[in-house]
Amino acid sequence: MARLKAAFCWCASCGGCEEAVIDLGEDLFSIAETLDVVFWPLAMDFKLRDVERLGDGEIAVSLINGGIRTSEHEHVARLLRKKSRYVVAFGTCAHIGGVPGLANFLLRDEIFEQIYQRSPSVPKKDRNEPSALTRVAQGTLSLPEFSPSLRTLGQVIPVDFSIPGCAPPPELVLEGIERILSAQPPERGAVLAPDTALCNSCARNATRPVGATIRDIKRVHEVLFDPERCFLDQGIICLGPATRDGCGQRCINANMPCRGCFGPPGREVDQGARFLSGLASIIDAGEDDMVGLIDAIVDPAGMFYYYSLPSSLLRGKRRARGSTHRR
Amino acid sequence: MKPRVALYLCSCGENVSERISFADLADRLASLEEVASLRIHSLLCSEEGRAFLSRDLERDKPDRVVIAACTPREHEKTFRNVLEKSGLNPYLFQMVNLREQVAWVIEDKDDALALAERYIRAAVKRVALHDALERQEISCNTNVVVIGAGVAGMAAALVLARAGREVTLVEQNPFIGGKVVLYDKVFPTMECSSCMLEPMMDEILHHGHIEVVTCGRIREVAGFIGNFTVRIETDARFVDREKCVGCGECIGKCPVTTKNAFDCHLSDRKAIDFPFQGALPNMPFIDREQCLRFRGRDCTICRDACRFDAIDYSASDAVLERNAGGVVVATGFEVWDPSPLAEFGYGRVPDVYTSLEFERILSPNGPSGGKLVTNKGDEPKSLAIVHCVGSRSPMLHNYCSGVCCRYAGKFARLVRERLPDANVYDICADWCVPGKENHSFPDSARASRKFSVVRTTLPMDVKITRVKKGIRLSCKEVSGARRVVVVDMVVLCPAMIPSKTSGKLAEILLIPCNPSGFFAEGHAIVDSVSSPREGIFLAGCASGPKDIRSSIEQGAAAAAKLLSILQPGKRLELNAMTALVDPALCSGCRVCVGLCPYGAIIFEGSRGRALANAALCEGCGTCAAGCPSGAIAQKHFTSDQIAAEIEEVLR
Repeated sequence: MARLKAAFCWCASCGGCEEAVIDLGEDLFSIAETLDVVFWPLAMDFKLRDVERLGDGEIAVSLINGGIRTSEHEHVARLLRKKSRYVVAFGTCAHIGGVPGLANFLLRDEIFEQIYQRSPSVPKKDRNEPSALTRVAQGTLSLPEFSPSLRTLGQVIPVDFSIPGCAPPPELVLEGIERILSAQPPERGAVLAPDTALCNSCARNATRPVGATIRDIKRVHEVLFDPERCFLDQGIICLGPATRDGCGQRCINANMPCRGCFGPPGREVDQGARFLSGLASIIDAGEDDMVGLIDAIVDPAGMFYYYSLPSSLLRGKRRARGSTHRR
Repeated sequence: MKPRVALYLCSCGENVSERISFADLADRLASLEEVASLRIHSLLCSEEGRAFLSRDLERDKPDRVVIAACTPREHEKTFRNVLEKSGLNPYLFQMVNLREQVAWVIEDKDDALALAERYIRAAVKRVALHDALERQEISCNTNVVVIGAGVAGMAAALVLARAGREVTLVEQNPFIGGKVVLYDKVFPTMECSSCMLEPMMDEILHHGHIEVVTCGRIREVAGFIGNFTVRIETDARFVDREKCVGCGECIGKCPVTTKNAFDCHLSDRKAIDFPFQGALPNMPFIDREQCLRFRGRDCTICRDACRFDAIDYSASDAVLERNAGGVVVATGFEVWDPSPLAEFGYGRVPDVYTSLEFERILSPNGPSGGKLVTNKGDEPKSLAIVHCVGSRSPMLHNYCSGVCCRYAGKFARLVRERLPDANVYDICADWCVPGKENHSFPDSARASRKFSVVRTTLPMDVKITRVKKGIRLSCKEVSGARRVVVVDMVVLCPAMIPSKTSGKLAEILLIPCNPSGFFAEGHAIVDSVSSPREGIFLAGCASGPKDIRSSIEQGAAAAAKLLSILQPGKRLELNAMTALVDPALCSGCRVCVGLCPYGAIIFEGSRGRALANAALCEGCGTCAAGCPSGAIAQKHFTSDQIAAEIEEVLR
């Protein structure tokens, strides 16, 4: 029997998701028994033209990690979409944007200016910005175009399933692949992790008293926290209540609060706004004290949208209507 | 499948149509794929317009309806009714506010057109996600619990009882009549206060539909409009109401004498006594703090004296449970105690009284039998009345109680009647005497040579000290100079403040208080006898200082509101736009528990899930907004619906 074809690919990501695949360890062998990998830039020597030669829908499943930031990412994503029965947004960045998505707090021009003009490590004579086409004596060099913002995979192509996590835990990956390839795959669009928030499985949940109890907010390095008590009750920002369950409590068990890498639970769209609204509901402060308390949160936007800015309602910074290009 | 949306543009009057070109608007919207039909009408809310809309809907049977017209505040209900009559679910409808949000605020016509287009596009996207909500109905109990038997509570109880409702009137004191029954005379009519209340109190005590519970406290008000369960704690009086005839034989023989709190501690009482002479119900009660029997001694003097076997030492405190459809809160007020501020001399200088104490001194059933005398028993030759004590002061009570100037005028007149030679100094910043009858007070006072007004600054800057010749009162006049008068008696008019129990009661009733501590009204102007919790109404000084007449009017108004809601056989329609917790999404974090102002959110410990009670839910959305997991949907305002709307507006 012909084995099912699979593809792995990375876009704007750190490589951790590739590591998550390797982390499957011996289970990789059992996967390899059912799946024939036809594309995996990190590990195997296939070229894009090999993919192009495949028939439409011939790949059973493509697992794509990373957000979409360049024209190349977009091209590969569209190609894999065409050639695959199922496309999986694999890991936080493909799912909701991830850490590279924080760049959406800046416009493309501002990023280039910072990196290629103002950065002290760039000598004056080398202050060139990358452009898609560069003429040199020997001919024309090309680079992928840098998009105006980072988009999630689902904002560029239709995505069948998402496996969340930075990086996705091996159990979730294995179970997800099995479910996708089973006789009854999950509903299209499904996030292959529980719908509830992290508090549902958190052993510390019961320790948080009901009502508004937060009197001040601390950063993780400012206190020794109680390893059994709810982080929020200790004044530590923990995104658990606004984050999908399924990570196996990796951070919580290491006595660190949740940063939200699994994205919002259920059908929720805006993790940051959700969390902020919930946090405001349990802060015990009058209007005057509230300001000081909020000031204690350094970089609130970055904290509440750590992983989810591109998929949130905010999406990112936009050029004001009618404003012209810089310079 | 895309829904078929019927879109109506109502061009309204010139205030809208002059700013927005409806022909251009229709052109821009014609291409929307969801819109199955688009019609412009000049006045959709008119009778002709509603008939047009109804005919249209019955013929075309669209899935959804969007009407861009004036404002939902004015006509959302109108159009929902048309939809319902035309066989459409009234919630599959969205109204766009073209008046306040576009025509009235956008000068430029092109901008107005563009904005109107955005709002309508957003409404079309939103309405596609609307659910067909169903309104539930519940049966209702028509009984009412009235808390507080002062004038407001009594007025409410009488209106309700006369209409055949069963009323439980709960009073924390051993007598009914509130503060007013303690007064001698009332303004503006100068009639005897207890004579004025007598018929009312008599009807209350003998009405077959009114149960009077004295010495009672509200412990719990569970449930919701139409279906409240009220638990009332009552302290035993140790005197059987059925047997006691109020002869008073038991009192004279009681060996314990103490100060009478119901007479502002100005007179003595026995451990078994009436609260004051003439108090109703006409029966004494035993003060168990003072009674020897309750302090371990084997005294039975009062029981032995009673010829009717009415005294029962074994009577016990009880908890009553009453089912009711509505509650009236008429808990009245207290007079602020000025003793913390030494400059008022209260509690430090003899013969410095609060207005309530002065009422008792003037009253024929008061400590001096109605004789206006100092604590030494002499008639005062001069007297000062100080207005605004603790009122209109940012540090104390930043409001005007609104009645003090009028009762100060009453006091001045009563003093003049009883001691025509006494000099009266009126220490005030100004006189607040609204109402068609009240100007006679300052007018007649000023006509008297014995009456002088000393105008001071605000907040009241007075210093009251004891001197050899009497009481020295020094105050700062408006001119800036200090004025000193020496008098024999001072009457302070302190701020009216919420009754002592109101804070705790607010927690029990789950209704908020405003910053001054009085219960917050549903709406300060148009709905002043409603509380924010449905089925709970406010009357009299519970919601802020008022005069007697307004309190009685409010009691009757609250009763009338309840009569219009709680009708025998009528079922109550519940709000359809309630919160709904999805147990599959709830993570049990309990952020929502405690947010609900109506007590509608319950946490089910066994399942580890929150639950919203639809009958209690007012649909305010606080829990839905607060839920960090997005597990609570506020029906008709779901995240999807709001996001679709925002996305389209910002596109």
